[in-house]
Amino acid sequence: MAVVNGEEREEMNRANEFVDSVGSKLVASLAGLGLAGFVIFHMLGNLQVFEGSDAINGYASFLHDMPILLWTARAGLLTAAAVHVGLTIRLALRNRRGRPVPYALRRYRAASVASRTMALTGSLLLAFIIFHLLHLTVGVIDPSAPDGMDVQGRLDVYGKIVHAFRNPLYVGIYVAGQLALGLHLSHAISSAFQTWGIEHAALDRLFKLAGPGVALFVVLGNLAIIFAVFLGWLHP
Amino acid sequence: MKFTLRIWRQRGPNERGGFVTYPVDDVSPDMSFLEMLDGLNQRLIVAGEEPVAFEHDCREGICGSCSLVIDGVPHGPERGVTTCQLYMRRFANGATITIEPWRAKAFPIIRDLVVDRRALDRIMQAGGYISVNTGGAVDGNTLLIGKEEAETAMDAASCIGCGACVAACKNASAMLFVAAKVSHLAMLPQGKPERTRRVMAMVRAMEREGFGSCGNQYECEAVCPKHVSVRFIAMLNREYLRASIMGTRIPARSDAPHGESY
Ligand code: HEM
Ligand code: SF4
Ligand code: FES
Repeated sequence: MAVVNGEEREEMNRANEFVDSVGSKLVASLAGLGLAGFVIFHMLGNLQVFEGSDAINGYASFLHDMPILLWTARAGLLTAAAVHVGLTIRLALRNRRGRPVPYALRRYRAASVASRTMALTGSLLLAFIIFHLLHLTVGVIDPSAPDGMDVQGRLDVYGKIVHAFRNPLYVGIYVAGQLALGLHLSHAISSAFQTWGIEHAALDRLFKLAGPGVALFVVLGNLAIIFAVFLGWLHP
Repeated sequence: MKFTLRIWRQRGPNERGGFVTYPVDDVSPDMSFLEMLDGLNQRLIVAGEEPVAFEHDCREGICGSCSLVIDGVPHGPERGVTTCQLYMRRFANGATITIEPWRAKAFPIIRDLVVDRRALDRIMQAGGYISVNTGGAVDGNTLLIGKEEAETAMDAASCIGCGACVAACKNASAMLFVAAKVSHLAMLPQGKPERTRRVMAMVRAMEREGFGSCGNQYECEAVCPKHVSVRFIAMLNREYLRASIMGTRIPARSDAPHGESY
């Protein structure tokens, strides 16, 4: 290891505060991958509505029966979301300042629509996540939603889901949310490989497909729940 | 051939610019894009008007001076060539061609289509070199370099510093340029001793110049006249991660033997 003098050491330490764009992006990416992990887990958990009200209500009460784990997870998710949003907004503002005078004519060869609209889909996602928390977690959006217990005295999550997605308004909002999520994830996951320096002559094609693949998996799972209720396949 | 040119004219760095339309005819399909502009400038000079300022030097695709955004793509519609190697036969007769300068905060316009790209030089000054101490020349083949490493380093070293990657990027990021320089030197034994300092210094210099950040959109690679691959950006990210870990290590403290200093 080369010996570094004081000035250089100071320079490196300052760079290590993750203030530069490469470092910010690594931290934002780590938080984003955490959120992506949750989104996958969340979708898989919710698929239990297809096993009926007993399964999904049991699943919910299983989670609620472990308050320490539940609240630690919630605190972690909130932190990850705050870090991701804070850093990516800062990066997006910096990027916008990078070209004060736009081109009169612009033709893209490689940059996908999803990759060019990350700030937009991200912001839509943020709005959707806040709405979703107020709607189904806190329960202040829809006063007509059943807030009761099921026959075994557990929170009736099944009833809430079925009530929500019979309403075309909520179906519309959630489908729009899934669209934003799908676009965001389809670039994000593939991009994360590059951000972490993972490239490989043969596997690169797989990494490129990973984003759209994961996005499709999550979105189709979530949409299945929404439309199964809306089309009347899941009964109250 | 005949064309209608829409060219960005701007008298100076702080002047307001705008598009001016010039019809050109008598263009040979075998003329290069810059020769076609030379023809227009001759005509403007004869008519007593200001010729269009654009940069050029080697006109053979190696110096990285020429820098035009043609119909919305840096270096124009042909892939893997610089503006000076673009020929008029690539365009449809009678077409309207829009010509703009590289646009980025870090590349202020000097005049018309000429921009100040010294930001890239300052990034190089921050770390794009190796420190060679004087002394006798090393014997050939003293430092063995594997075929793979040599080829990869050459691929990165083929960057001519034109800045098309910045011009093409939605974020006006200079990542492909910096990645090419960092990777080139990190691959080779001569560059390895300073790799930890180099990547941090160059990233910080890039930051200071006001370039945007990399969004992994790969528009840079698609316009690069030298086909510099975005895998070098992954390599830069690895170098950065490595330096983040190595650079914060507390240096081992050992007594210098026999009073030698470093
Ligand atoms: C479910 C929620 C979300 C998930 C799973 C998620 C995931 C990710 C991931 C994995 C990346 C890729 C980072 C990389 O390239 O390595 C990313 C990038 C990004 N995210 Fe999110 N994100 C979410 C929400 C948001 C929100 C709410 C915002 C906005 C305000 C946002 C804005 C962005 C932006 C702008 C980028 C691009 C960063 C860049 O390339 O410089 N994201 N996201
Ligand atoms: S990486 Fe390619 S586009 Fe960018 S400066 Fe080098 S040669 Fe030009
Ligand atoms: S003039 Fe030298 S590369 Fe075009």
